Amino acid sequence: MTVSHHLTDETILDYSAGSLIMSMETLIACHLTVCSHCRLRAELADGIGGGLLDDFESVPVSASPGDLIARAGSMADRDAPGSGHSLDSGQSGGLAESGEDDHRADTAGESATLISGVPRPLARLLPAPLEDLPWRRIAPGIRRHNLSNQPRRHGAFQLLRLEPGVVLSAHSHADRELTFLVKGSYVDEIGHFKEGDIADLDGHHDAHRPVVDSDVPCIALIATQSPVRFTGLVGKIMQPFVGI
Amino acid sequence: MNSSAPPPTKKNATAAAALRKRMGDNLLAIGRDRDEAAFADVYSYYAGRVKSFLMGKGMNEDTAEELTQEIMLVVWRRAESYDPNKAAASTWLFTIARNRRIDYLRGNSRIEVDLDDEMLDMQSTETDTQEKFVADEQSARQLETALASLPQEQRQVMHLSYYRGMSHGDIAQWLELPIGTVKSRIRLAIQAVRGSLKDEEMSAPDTSARDIAPDDRSTQPSQ
Repeated sequence: MTVSHHLTDETILDYSAGSLIMSMETLIACHLTVCSHCRLRAELADGIGGGLLDDFESVPVSASPGDLIARAGSMADRDAPGSGHSLDSGQSGGLAESGEDDHRADTAGESATLISGVPRPLARLLPAPLEDLPWRRIAPGIRRHNLSNQPRRHGAFQLLRLEPGVVLSAHSHADRELTFLVKGSYVDEIGHFKEGDIADLDGHHDAHRPVVDSDVPCIALIATQSPVRFTGLVGKIMQPFVGI
Repeated sequence: MNSSAPPPTKKNATAAAALRKRMGDNLLAIGRDRDEAAFADVYSYYAGRVKSFLMGKGMNEDTAEELTQEIMLVVWRRAESYDPNKAAASTWLFTIARNRRIDYLRGNSRIEVDLDDEMLDMQSTETDTQEKFVADEQSARQLETALASLPQEQRQVMHLSYYRGMSHGDIAQWLELPIGTVKSRIRLAIQAVRGSLKDEEMSAPDTSARDIAPDDRSTQPSQ
């Protein structure tokens, strides 16, 4: 997979600092899976976070290291031996959770392939392969699978399935939108976007008008942090349905 | 407390290198021998900083204390998973603390790459010297020097981002700056760090990295 559209520095920084909502993290993790270039950039950003940790002002803590070692000793009695390596499998940052998640070893079967051709951070959210999803038709040639049950004001998180040749209404973005191309391709004023590419639109005020130019349906994962403003009349009518 | 106050003064790069070596050795000693003195050293330096980091996003002190203890317990029990070839001790600790903070604040783990994913791309990790950040002595030292040399305005933005957990949009609102200005500062800071790592590897240092003007015309507020 040749990726040509990448994450911006400020999005990588926000991801590394931990200031993004889960939908955006999912989308970024999909791109980082198929783009080692951005994955290295994210590692560098984590290095910056580590470097800055030394600068954080220290505040008093009440427990002593001895207290913690004693607490660890009492916890160790409940632990099954040999389960210690399950925790950090599959987490790029090493340890993702607290030290009490040893029972995860029981769910190791989950690490088998989930959905072929779909990065795991997304595949984990899907009840079925892409073509078998309960897509809802929202306009001619446009289907949607919603991934969030949050109210729209918290931002959209959805898959769009666009038939070849479909033209989306011209729209602009008030805040932040990330799009990850799962299948197919489209072209707009910004460029040509293919499988694995990311469109990192952050306050991009110029209206754009994506046209699907692949032979297969274009499937895009989209996360937004605020509703976008459609500029054309058709767009204004469509907005409540498309929600992008 | 004023979050927009300048971050602490620049640290001495040599002292930072000595600290990094000591903390890395400590983690290895904990992982290998459950060395209590090594743990006490890590704890006395980092526990207060981790707690401060947790409180930076508005967490109350009792919760921050409890989570700090959980995080330091992870250090004690899981230090063997620390890989000194992959990250500095501070980076390892930062990622644990960051992930625990996210987990607590929203009740879900941070979403990350699954390194067992069959779609995982490895190409740049073999070839991309420009982006590759190796946690060797030289790279770590360059990163520390670059961070210490950042202009105040870039340093402030990085501090608000990592310490307060503010997105660049939040920072723009907080500092009452156009979002394009905040993005420029972030890009310049990251380019300075990346450039410092890159210069050393290339025979002809590419100084253009610091001169690139981020194209944020489209993100300036409309007039």
